[in-house]
Amino acid sequence: MNAHRSFLALLLAFSCSATATAADVVKIALTGPFSGGSAPMGISMRDGAKLAIAQINQKGGIDVAGKKMKIEIIERDDEGKNDRGALVAQEISSMNDVSAVIGTVNTGIAIMGDKYYVQKGIVKIISPAAGSASMTQWSKAGIQDIPIFRFAAHDGIQSQMVVEQAVKLGARRVAILHDDTNYGVSGRDDLLSQIRNQGEKLKVVAIEKFAIGDKDMTGQLMKAKIAGAQAILIWGIGPELAAVASGKKKLGYNVPMIGGWTLSMSNFIDTAGPAGNGALMPQTFIEDESIARAKPFIQAYRKVYGVNRIPSPVSAAQGYDSALLLAEAIHQAGSTQPSKIKAALENLTGVVKGAITDWKKPWSKWDPANEESHEAFRRSYTVMGKVENGRVVLANPGDKALLDRNRN
Amino acid sequence: MNPEILAYTQMAVSGALMGLAYALVAYGFQLTFAAGKAVNFGQGELVMLGAFVGLTLTGIGIPYWLSIAGAMAVGTGLGWFVERSAVRLALKQHNEGWILLTIIIGLFAVSAAENIWGREDKPYPVPWQDGSIDFYGISVTWPEITIAAGALGAMILIEIAKRCTMFGIAVQAVSADPDAAELCGIRSTSATSLSWAVSGAAAAFAGTIIGPVTTVGPTMAAALTLKAFSVAVVAGLDSAIGLVFTGIFLGTVENLSGFLLGSGWRETPGLILLILALALRPQGIFGKKIIRKV
Repeated sequence: MNAHRSFLALLLAFSCSATATAADVVKIALTGPFSGGSAPMGISMRDGAKLAIAQINQKGGIDVAGKKMKIEIIERDDEGKNDRGALVAQEISSMNDVSAVIGTVNTGIAIMGDKYYVQKGIVKIISPAAGSASMTQWSKAGIQDIPIFRFAAHDGIQSQMVVEQAVKLGARRVAILHDDTNYGVSGRDDLLSQIRNQGEKLKVVAIEKFAIGDKDMTGQLMKAKIAGAQAILIWGIGPELAAVASGKKKLGYNVPMIGGWTLSMSNFIDTAGPAGNGALMPQTFIEDESIARAKPFIQAYRKVYGVNRIPSPVSAAQGYDSALLLAEAIHQAGSTQPSKIKAALENLTGVVKGAITDWKKPWSKWDPANEESHEAFRRSYTVMGKVENGRVVLANPGDKALLDRNRN
Repeated sequence: MNPEILAYTQMAVSGALMGLAYALVAYGFQLTFAAGKAVNFGQGELVMLGAFVGLTLTGIGIPYWLSIAGAMAVGTGLGWFVERSAVRLALKQHNEGWILLTIIIGLFAVSAAENIWGREDKPYPVPWQDGSIDFYGISVTWPEITIAAGALGAMILIEIAKRCTMFGIAVQAVSADPDAAELCGIRSTSATSLSWAVSGAAAAFAGTIIGPVTTVGPTMAAALTLKAFSVAVVAGLDSAIGLVFTGIFLGTVENLSGFLLGSGWRETPGLILLILALALRPQGIFGKKIIRKV
């Protein structure tokens, strides 16, 4: 009997302490591929966000309606696989106390998994997945309200810049190469529609695809070469992009390679080696300490994680800024309830000083007809980066002023 | 030359060179089959482990040539281990358990590699110069030449050893008739162990020469095993020269069909070839018909 009673008391004490901690923290989930081909992006995003969260917690946490609340992180590796990503989304949306999610690198995972967050109304900031489909899946269906926000330069912006760049370099005939994932296919479609929108200045002479894991791109490149393509526009991820770069070098096919921001991934740069030099891609952030705004973040990241190069600088900076924005929204909402956080994100009143820019009201109320309503990035925030000897530098040094300025 | 024809030639040459890599891996099947009438379905995983060991050795500053030797030493040990742990017992009991056991060891190797080296594909640095050599407009890279020379060289060396050394002749004797060989004083188990060890070394060697072309990752084995197995079955399990021809043929056809029909169709001809061979000439195109007396 005695033992029984003490056990009950223990149970009671335990449940009390559990509810006490649950009330004192804000739970935020970070999801992404922390292993596999897109891991550099997932890991950098996660570590960038964790850096921001650590800085917030160090100051005592977020001020939620007058009470300081620390942030607790839940991490899930989706391995960059669609089915695994859907499971992760299911799991997180079934936890009742998660306020918001930051993450997703692979567009296919956003397509497979985000519906669970939408059903439960859990706030999700997609970063750094750029594929257009992860937002257009909601606007095309005419959904009236979603808690999904994007914090990445979406492929609409990126493909526009890629096409502009190809025209600028004087190419007339181009080849489009893409991988066969949702990301690659939607990138191809974006490129084709951008070429149409920009007045057909480019003629697409070859469209070739490749699969994840392909190592030999000789065939695709030979077709582009025979068709006389003067530039290769490409949508894929690190390992396959590197295989294309090596193949180009092998064939002595020296045309510019311009593509999505994934060309800045460390596993592209390292695997391709010198063959990757000169690849051009849109970037929202450049790991360059001479940019005053970026310097504190770059130094903090390198120090905390003991690296001298961020695996994917864009992902890291976006992870960092998105966590700051989310914290600001929770503060403004004065609540850890997802619905109130969502409303605050749609109407942020404070200015958030991030590694990328000073963010003023990055998102507005969801409107399926306005494709920019839940998108934080605009064309004017994004610059062209170039691979040079193992790093990404500004393709156009004049853009440095743009990155330094308060752009909003 | 006409650019179209040049393109086809380029694809054929690239494919043929890669085909020799399939032949070398397939040769590993042949070696073990000759002695013990069993093959290692985890042969591709041995290739992968060999590549990782070689990569790790170059990572700590050991030159490429020595890293190949190190990888082969590990491969020898692994080949021996697979035979002792999985195959010998099953063969003694006259069952086909070795099929499943070698597959299981292969799966285990993949998990081990993921845990030790991670799931990323890594580049394998090689000492020779970057860039390619141009033969009348057809580009060939140094790592590709290494595959061709290495695969042919390794197979020729082992074939010579099989014919001219005591050990080689002993293995052949066991292959022909284990009981008769035992009566002549050859320990058939040792001969079988030896052939598995050599097969493991060949697989690891293949890893170190294929790695620089394909990059090294835990999943690099999957496609390789299937293709090498196709080559081994189509060529037959007792002709080394047959493997070379079949490997070159499969590599070429694969590349050309990928080029003509689109990259999604690359793997198809190999599989069709496999089905045809199994249906029409189960002993292999270059194989001898074995008459089993019951």
